[in-house]
Amino acid sequence: MPLLARFRSIGVLGVLLLLVIGAAALTPQHTFIQEANLKTLLALGPEFGIIALGVGVLMVAGEFDLSVGSVLTLCGFFFIWLVGSGLNPFVAALITLVSGIAIGFVHGLVVVKARIVSFIATLGFMLTWRGLAEILTAGVVRSHNFEQYPLFTQLVTGRLGGVVPMQLIWFILFAVILYFVLQRGRFGNWIYATGDNVEAARAMAVPTDLVKLTCFMLVGFMCSFASLLQITRTAAFTTHMGTGWELQAVAAAVVGGTSLRGGRGTMVGIFLGALVIMVIDNMIGQARLPYEWTYIAFGLVILGAVLLDLAVEKQVQRATA
Amino acid sequence: MSATSSANGQELLKMVGIHKYFGRVHALRGVNFSVNRGEVVGLCGDNGAGKSTLIKVASGYHMADAGQIFFEGREVKLRSPKDARALGIETVYQEQALCPHLSIARNIFMGREPTTVLGLLDQSRMNEESMEALASMGLKLRSPHALVSALSGGQRQGVAIARAIHFRAKLVILDEPTIALSVKEVREVLDFVRHLKDQGVAAVFITHTLHHVFSVADRIVVLAHGCNLVDIRTKDTTVDELSDIIARGTLGDAAPTHKPESEAAAAALAQQATCEEDTEAEQEI
Amino acid sequence: MQRRTIQNLSLGGFSTPLVFIITILIFWAFSPGHRFLDPRNVAAIAKLTPDLGVVALGIGVLMICGEFDLSIASVLPTCSFIFTQLLMAGVSPFVAFVLLLPIGAVFGLINGLLVVRTGLPSFIITLSTMLFWRGIVYVASGLMPISILPYIPTGSPFAQMLTGQIGPVPVQLLWFLGIALVLGVVLHFGRLGNWIYATGSNQDAARAMGVDVRLVKIVCYMIVGSLCAFAAMMQATRLGSFAATQGIGFELKAIAAVVVGGTSLRGGVGSMVGIALGVFIIQILENGLILLRVPVFGVNTFIGLAVILFVIINNLTNRQLAGQGF
Ligand SMILES: Nc1ncnc2c1ncn2[C@@H]1O[C@H](COP(=O)(O)OP(=O)(O)OP(=O)(O)O)[C@@H](O)[C@H]1O
Ligand SMILES: [Mg+2]
Repeated sequence: MPLLARFRSIGVLGVLLLLVIGAAALTPQHTFIQEANLKTLLALGPEFGIIALGVGVLMVAGEFDLSVGSVLTLCGFFFIWLVGSGLNPFVAALITLVSGIAIGFVHGLVVVKARIVSFIATLGFMLTWRGLAEILTAGVVRSHNFEQYPLFTQLVTGRLGGVVPMQLIWFILFAVILYFVLQRGRFGNWIYATGDNVEAARAMAVPTDLVKLTCFMLVGFMCSFASLLQITRTAAFTTHMGTGWELQAVAAAVVGGTSLRGGRGTMVGIFLGALVIMVIDNMIGQARLPYEWTYIAFGLVILGAVLLDLAVEKQVQRATA
Repeated sequence: MSATSSANGQELLKMVGIHKYFGRVHALRGVNFSVNRGEVVGLCGDNGAGKSTLIKVASGYHMADAGQIFFEGREVKLRSPKDARALGIETVYQEQALCPHLSIARNIFMGREPTTVLGLLDQSRMNEESMEALASMGLKLRSPHALVSALSGGQRQGVAIARAIHFRAKLVILDEPTIALSVKEVREVLDFVRHLKDQGVAAVFITHTLHHVFSVADRIVVLAHGCNLVDIRTKDTTVDELSDIIARGTLGDAAPTHKPESEAAAAALAQQATCEEDTEAEQEI
Repeated sequence: MQRRTIQNLSLGGFSTPLVFIITILIFWAFSPGHRFLDPRNVAAIAKLTPDLGVVALGIGVLMICGEFDLSIASVLPTCSFIFTQLLMAGVSPFVAFVLLLPIGAVFGLINGLLVVRTGLPSFIITLSTMLFWRGIVYVASGLMPISILPYIPTGSPFAQMLTGQIGPVPVQLLWFLGIALVLGVVLHFGRLGNWIYATGSNQDAARAMGVDVRLVKIVCYMIVGSLCAFAAMMQATRLGSFAATQGIGFELKAIAAVVVGGTSLRGGVGSMVGIALGVFIIQILENGLILLRVPVFGVNTFIGLAVILFVIINNLTNRQLAGQGF
């Protein structure tokens, strides 16, 4: 397993390097590798990347969450509303994070207890939460001046040593923590087992329902954390936050070698997969392609990633048979 | 149904009057079942007789709808596999209960992973101990890192049984461990069971192949349609006699021609009669 | 001892009609001036429902066979775009109509092949084809609507055929009911239907009994594709134009309708009558909420919740049917 997984991650790394080189070469005036763009990429990208990490772990546990974009939006609304009503941003952030976890808990409960296929349940919640955000904000565009909280903005969207975006630091930090949880910890073993063979895991007294519930809560937490980053950065709220991210997050995980059937995937792979998606998204913008092209691009990326994974899996099976 | 909680010190597991429903399916209709210390009991019966359901009740996977379970003389409630394991009941399920994409070591320690001070998996201990456990069963595998999906069927059963032995089970339940195995692999698995017995561990061995069970079991219990049919010591019966009874699924026809040869068979006959009365009574409702 | 399974059984079968009646009663009671059952509103529902409904019937069949198709939301506008292009190229609407049904089937074929050849979860596959076709139709049309009134004037025979009126009854409704009838017969009385149920409830068993599971799935996808093409033309004719936004949200509403119609998300269970009723329930929900002055974007919230709630209820009744085990 470690060997194969490592090979798989090296494959993703190769794809990432190719993409970066391609983007550097092909974007008009090589804007892709210019400092300004790299800074944007590494500051904006993690908003998506952090969510993708959570979605990846959930997929290892064998479930999907297609509501991430909507949870991001709803949490973003909570945050700007709380801060706007004069609350200390740290307190507001805490409440937002807790509400994100609570939303994840609801998702998990519906999947685990009501036994609804997770992609349908979260598809339903995708409509529900974004609709709720739209009702609550009542069409008003909300903005807020975050510069009055230098400490908070410094922590969330500042630059470490004036260079490295804090968002990137958070992204890497979460990836490292999740690496230890998933691949080196006891709970991680349960996550793999739950995704690989629920019945077996249950028979071995692994609390599979709890495992899934926790993973859903992790995704909720990651969405709410990303909403803090995005709201603080843009200082405004729209109901279009994170549209399309649900699929891109699945794509990131799959590109990184996570199985759509659960039970297989590594944090390194998921991390690199998230970077790949971040780069593609940025490239499309840099290449000045009309927005419509992103649909085609991501449609093909997901399909490509999925087919690649299938090929890898077939090879693995042939090798072990 | 009369229930006695007296244990003669020999009795390890005793199940009395177990009922289990799956919606409309009445899978167990008041089954009695017991295993003594260090005894290997063969559990037989036709497809759907309720064998797997009975042992899933014993291993905490299913809760019985009625009936009592005693372990080492004390009444116990098994609400989850965890409860059963805590008592020392380990189960190797018919549907191979291993995670194919995880390593042997991770599978053996599934749910009971040792951790270091930092809360991380103690991987070196897991690797060492799992190799030891496998070696103690006479299983030589290359590395604890190998994925279970790369093992043969016999080896997988070996891993599952090693898991049970390693955690000092008092009773190991094996649900059709020889199904879909080659002749050589079957022999391996039967050796594993003898290993268990040598170490004083009791076992329940479910199979459709009477020859397998005859070579290892001390006693054989036959279920039919969720009722007890036969409970007899292996040396008091023959493969032919038992396969005849299982095929017919009842002692009723056999009784006139074939006088029950042992007390156990006679008792079983009586038991079956009560069980069938129950069934008829229920159908009237 | 014995559980009252008979009762549970009938509850499972009754829940869809029950929900249907309850939604009607609620909206009748609470809509301002009981406008909900106003003949004009009823006529509007009868006209609007078939757009989604025709597609949902196909999705229902597909879900009984155990698969999903989210790409309908993009296949529909793509078909509509092709339709307008054909009209603009001087093709008679009737010829275009006949051409488009197999074209729709080809879209389904692509999905079906991808799903059965890869064996991957169909919702991922069809999500990616949804993105792909949406991109194509956006790029090709530049997001501009294209009027088809010059080719299909209001009241022309073609418009009459798809969107006319027979007495008080809109033709759309007749098409919807007709297609439901045909699919119902296929599903409940035909050999294919038997295979569809078998495939959905236990693929391996179906295969073991000699059912070509892959072929069954591909055929179901092709049915969905053709129905998308049909709905695309019906909707474009009603609107008098192609719009890139046609079909947006249909993927979820169709699943919602099918699920509310009592179809299992895991395949193998469902009926045509239930699915048809489910379509009406979803449309009534949407219409009724708007009559109740719920903001348009808020409607989605309720549809999302309705799906989840209904599936929970359904699962609970089913679980009582099947016992606690799984
Ligand atoms: N989870 C479940 N849900 C519903 N019915 C079940 C379930 N498990 C078992 N049954 C039913 O209970 C009865 C007994 O099944 P069980 O699996 O115990 O039989 P078995 O003796 O192990 O048969 P086999 O030799 O085929 O393994 C069967 O009728 C079966 O269909
Ligand atoms: Mg069995």
